[in-house]
Amino acid sequence: MQKLEDMGTVIATDVLVLGAGGAGMCAALKAKESKVDVLLIDKCGIGWNGQVPIGGGILAYIYPDDVPEWTEKVTRDSRYFNNQDWTHIMGQYMHKSTMDLADMGLTFLNKKGEIDILTWGPNIHVTLFDAPKSLVALKKTAESRGIRMMDKIYVIDLLKNDGQVVGAVGLGLVDGKTYIFNAKATIVATGNCGYMHEKTYSSVLGEGPAMGYRAGAQLVNAEFGSGYVWGIKTLGKELMGIHFYLYLENARGEKIMGKHYPELMVGNHSVYTFDPRVIDAMYKEVKAGLGPIYLNLKGLTTAEIAELAEDRVEGLTQLMANDTIVLLNEKAGIDPAVEKMEMWPRYLYSGGGLRIDTGGRTTLDGLWAAGGSSSNSWSGGGGGQAGLGVQSAAITGFVAGENAGAYAAANQRRDIDVAYAEGIIDRIKAPMQRRGEFDAADVTYQVHEAVVPMKYNRLREAGRMNEALGIVRDARDKLGRVGAADFHDLARYHSAESMAMAAEFTYKAALMREESRSGHFREDFPERDDKNWFKWITVESRDGAPHLATLPVPVEKYKLQPGQ
Amino acid sequence: MTIRNFDREKCTGCGICVAACPMDVLRLDENDGKAVVKYPNDCVACWGCESFCPQGCFDVSPERGRGEMVSPY
Repeated sequence: MQKLEDMGTVIATDVLVLGAGGAGMCAALKAKESKVDVLLIDKCGIGWNGQVPIGGGILAYIYPDDVPEWTEKVTRDSRYFNNQDWTHIMGQYMHKSTMDLADMGLTFLNKKGEIDILTWGPNIHVTLFDAPKSLVALKKTAESRGIRMMDKIYVIDLLKNDGQVVGAVGLGLVDGKTYIFNAKATIVATGNCGYMHEKTYSSVLGEGPAMGYRAGAQLVNAEFGSGYVWGIKTLGKELMGIHFYLYLENARGEKIMGKHYPELMVGNHSVYTFDPRVIDAMYKEVKAGLGPIYLNLKGLTTAEIAELAEDRVEGLTQLMANDTIVLLNEKAGIDPAVEKMEMWPRYLYSGGGLRIDTGGRTTLDGLWAAGGSSSNSWSGGGGGQAGLGVQSAAITGFVAGENAGAYAAANQRRDIDVAYAEGIIDRIKAPMQRRGEFDAADVTYQVHEAVVPMKYNRLREAGRMNEALGIVRDARDKLGRVGAADFHDLARYHSAESMAMAAEFTYKAALMREESRSGHFREDFPERDDKNWFKWITVESRDGAPHLATLPVPVEKYKLQPGQ
Repeated sequence: MTIRNFDREKCTGCGICVAACPMDVLRLDENDGKAVVKYPNDCVACWGCESFCPQGCFDVSPERGRGEMVSPY
């Protein structure tokens, strides 16, 4: 047997945080408060990574007094399908999380020296922060507090000893070194799966849930959260703004929203880019042979176009829409006032993640999870409120960091099991031992063929989902014939594998759930079925294959009961 | 096609795009210090370089693989 040092560069720490986006950065900063050694790893350059810097800079906020009403609303909206313990934690933590982020250097929009809290809806508010510079600011604080950071390392798998997670293995993309991390506590915060399909959240490729699954941790809610938003096809970007839907038309020049939702054409409505009504109207029109769908703003002045973006949060979406118009003009050479633009539903993201308890712990000893990599059912499969994604990343990060830090402060580090590590590293590098017949890009494209079409992933039905699963199976077979010449090829191989796994889990769970609920819609089971399906679906690895099981929603333990 | 256009003339070699790339597609050239697209096939169109480049050197297209994006319809 080889020595560990012969297999790669071994680095020991107390708390290892994988992924330095919003969740990972918050986890690292909070873990450091336990006065332990914290090492933060990212495949990207830290400060410019993850989803927060390219997002809208919106952070949801609830006044502490409003928490009970908000929790009750989320619970009733989800029809008691949420994890009320987590909903309560989310509500309770929002004020503290916002103040902590400000202390940690995040720049908020201020009014008279105080964070400006803007009204969004009943009992829910938002604050605005400088998104592009957010992680640069938090990184500076992390440095000053002695958090160690290493970037451009692509972590593929977790390491275990006697059932407990004791670290991870990563590939140095720039230096070509294999890194072996040994930690007392490990936090996965690498996001969920954006499938590198559309431009936006395409750098998160399902790595975290995949490595957790392979190590034996349970995933939950894989059938929920798959998201389509409508946007500009050629630009790969949405046009933020709540009134643009009024100007969507089919190839004949007919206004499509008026055809399918006439009530939206009178009065004042807020229709966001993730509104399912727009996505469904687009689909119906195209299926009726009336596609493609255009946004036709011809003849409108710039001021009139800006007005269409107007939102209840003054200036916010207008600002974003203006940015998009600048992008259109400068990058795509399109002037929306004289040229119509083709729009389509953009598939952005898969749902679910590593199942966590109220302390951020996964079902595996030594492993915590936060942000998009984790799933805690706080919304019961819903979501969609702007700013809750960032707040959820921050709060799950703080919770996981606090608990992993406390654990590391109280426990000894366990050694890495050398034979286990050797097996893992052999698996990771196996593609380098074979001559490739395919490129990893072929596999990725095939995964896209399975997850992007709405006939598979939005209007779900058993026969079609089995067809999609067949495409995923083909993709995985093909993956067995992909070779790798260097660590770059290996990274592409492993990202294709984690994307194929995300797709497989989504469809397996969606096939199992024979009802419609929240964002999960089954054409063959169009009704909600509380009698049989008031339960969450888990996925875990058993004998090398995904094993699905159910967990009844423990509503009897919660404060709010149906029928009250 | 992912990084559709990189205007190297405008590049000042600040290195933000190199830091912002999650797949190590971009490196700084050892000779002139400007960015180079070293691994074009590894681009995931995350849009980081285009978003953060202070000079606006990048134009990233989401089209990749076979050149056509898979249709949602």
